[in-house]
Amino acid sequence: MRRLGWLALSVSLSGSPGCVRPECADADYGDPECRVIAENELARLRTADGVEIRFADPREEDATTWEARGLLRESASEGVVARIAGPGDFALSLQRQAGDPGATFLRLDNVDQDATITVVDGGESLEVEAEGFVPSSRQLVFTLDDEVPLWVRGRIPCPGRYRIAALGDIQTNPTQFARIAEALSTERLRAAQLGEPLLALMIVGDLSEATRDEEFEALHDIIDRLPFPVMTTPGNHDVYRPTRPYYNLSFGPGTHEATLCNAKLVMLDTGSGAIATSVQARLPELFDRDEAEVLIVGMHHPVYPGQTGAGWSREDQAAHVMSELAIARADLVVAGHAHALHDFSGIDVGDVQLREIITGTGGATQGIADPRFGYVRITIDGGEMDTCFVEVPPPGYDGPTGDDLPNLPNCPASD
Amino acid sequence: MRGTTTTLRRRLLPTAIACGIAAVTVPARAAAPATTEPSSDPPAGPDARFRDPGRRPWARCTDEVDPCMRPRPARVLLLSLGALGGGVAAGLLFALGDRLAPGDPATLLVGTGALAGAGALVGMAAGRLGADQAALSDRVRPSVASLDWTVAQPTNLDEREPHTLALRWAPTWRFADGSRVRLVGHFGGWPRPREQVDPRPQVQAADDGRDGTAPRSLSQRQLSASVGLDWAVNLPYPAVRRPDRSSFLGPADIRWRPTFEFRRDSYELGDASTPRTVERTMLLPLTAGARWYLSPRQRFTFYVGPRFDMIAYAEPGQDGLSRGRGVQLGPIYGEAWYDIDIPLTPGRRRDGQLRRADVNAMLTMGYVHSRFDGRGFNFGPVVGFLGPFHLGWITRVRPHGSKLAIQAGASARLGNGFSGTLDVGLVVPDFGPGGRRR
Repeated sequence: MRRLGWLALSVSLSGSPGCVRPECADADYGDPECRVIAENELARLRTADGVEIRFADPREEDATTWEARGLLRESASEGVVARIAGPGDFALSLQRQAGDPGATFLRLDNVDQDATITVVDGGESLEVEAEGFVPSSRQLVFTLDDEVPLWVRGRIPCPGRYRIAALGDIQTNPTQFARIAEALSTERLRAAQLGEPLLALMIVGDLSEATRDEEFEALHDIIDRLPFPVMTTPGNHDVYRPTRPYYNLSFGPGTHEATLCNAKLVMLDTGSGAIATSVQARLPELFDRDEAEVLIVGMHHPVYPGQTGAGWSREDQAAHVMSELAIARADLVVAGHAHALHDFSGIDVGDVQLREIITGTGGATQGIADPRFGYVRITIDGGEMDTCFVEVPPPGYDGPTGDDLPNLPNCPASD
Repeated sequence: MRGTTTTLRRRLLPTAIACGIAAVTVPARAAAPATTEPSSDPPAGPDARFRDPGRRPWARCTDEVDPCMRPRPARVLLLSLGALGGGVAAGLLFALGDRLAPGDPATLLVGTGALAGAGALVGMAAGRLGADQAALSDRVRPSVASLDWTVAQPTNLDEREPHTLALRWAPTWRFADGSRVRLVGHFGGWPRPREQVDPRPQVQAADDGRDGTAPRSLSQRQLSASVGLDWAVNLPYPAVRRPDRSSFLGPADIRWRPTFEFRRDSYELGDASTPRTVERTMLLPLTAGARWYLSPRQRFTFYVGPRFDMIAYAEPGQDGLSRGRGVQLGPIYGEAWYDIDIPLTPGRRRDGQLRRADVNAMLTMGYVHSRFDGRGFNFGPVVGFLGPFHLGWITRVRPHGSKLAIQAGASARLGNGFSGTLDVGLVVPDFGPGGRRR
């Protein structure tokens, strides 16, 4: 009888829920689910004078909800700053919730130099001229008198043919990344003359080496001067100090989406070698092209690592992500983690073949061999996509150090 | 001489057949005994190596074990090899700055080297505590059938982590020469689905069906199966009999273990989307390995081989799976294990009577270089390179004189958190001529 009692106790203990609490009640930002909470909390802000500001889907008309499409912060020195997380159109709602009517200063960061800003107040739309200290920044002043939400919307001109750049793994070498950024600025000018402007840079993780604020600030000093938006996601080096969401506080969401002309760009936060299960549950929504003709998904850990040894910690999730990429017929996966340039074409997932480019060439050390730094250029023309690699060698090299890959040649110097 | 050659031919013949190659003629060795794993029998005659209590060199043979085994230098050698292999591999990874395209073997070496080193150190400690004695006659081996229960405990409100149940089997056919082939595999899964919630603040809403406000975001079920063969052939030991004092470090066997692993995951994502089914198959047709008996009661085993992956999925709204045609060459697969046998009922009872049961245990440490089951060992920024580490304890209880025994064990797996598994199994004699003899 006593044995039966012990057995019953053991079974009841094993089946009991135990001590459970809401997700991230004890915050550990090494856990991707805690970063999901952080990045969504940071996409809305109640300002000191009672104005609620929220990032939203550019097509959204309802100001009662928000999405992790940017970073909002307010400080005595800068006022309210909204950093848009990705390229393409964007939207912010502003609504006075409390306090007296008055002026609200808002700085928009990470905006395309050629974007037009429209303020929509009730039924009235007003295109505003706004400038900032750098091309990607705009400063606005509003007077919010009542509780009717006011929308700030951004639009960019969309040519038929345009470019996106992608790289990852900057880590200990922001100096080399600054050279790459300079090459990107040069390309922006030259490409615009060719009628195919460079509209965005995707950085697929490892922006820092040790998840430190000063590293992120040094990187901001470089990318804030670029005339086009930079879309980022964290790598393992950006999230391994778990006491604060350092990455999110500096760059905003790690998992987010943007529609750039006819391309859907999605970033997945794989910094922990896995994605949050709530993100896993939203994969069909994130990969939904809507009207976009091209789908490009960026992440730090390669969903298909080949024999690099640098894959996901949770291969079960990676397989699910690959199946969702196959269902969505994703055109390209861009990843980092391996400090090298690899092109995996023809990854079989069911009846679909995926393509993944690993471009951990943003400056991080590549060991004893000749380094191959630079970025992948993705040229989109209608529903077609073309890729090549722009090598930006460090000083002292006479030219590119790497040869063409079978499906990823070096870009012509004339372009 | 003729008899020895015949024995060796018989011993290698199963391997040759299994590998699909012709039997080879093995040159006769001088007085090589027909070795299996270390004997639990004392030497037949007096041996000067065991009779001189005053001469106890560090590299001495284990007492009462013939042929000689020298556990201390063997463990130092394993420790050195582990440190060297792991260190060189880690150094290569750093020197090449993660840029080596086939960098996975290096990460395998890091994990295997760490396990080898840790195993050797624990083995040294066990040896100091008296574990370097003759092999146990009834040591722990895989149960012919066992039931595993992996315990899971949710930590978040309204979430559910499923327990895992698996039926495992490992019947063994043992040949007369001590070689054996084992049919290994399992069938199991999650009896209840894993439930996860969406913690985003903007989707929180009170609901009568939940304790908290986070809506359910993901429900997952899993079916798991595997089947394979594990073939082990003993190598001659000592390989060369020298007339002078023995300097051998322990016998070894070589292994071939083709395996097929299968997982089927069914997902319900959010409230609106169509359920998803994803099948993952891992083919390991060329996994080979070796076991090194460092002492009669301690073993180091490793396997390594290429891995081929297939992912199939169901398109939304369709029942059939899109399986495709190709297989992907995946990351390299590897395992490393260090086992220590521990007798729990040595000798007779205090009153001189025979014990009613023989009880032996095994401490096992392992590293598996695969994150197929979503378990990876991460630390600091080292994320996504290593597989999980294992630590387990298994106890075998055999009623005195019985052909049947039961085994029960507990093990922990360290990778993406911690999980514990309990298992209980039944042991029957091995099949085949070698099994009947044993």
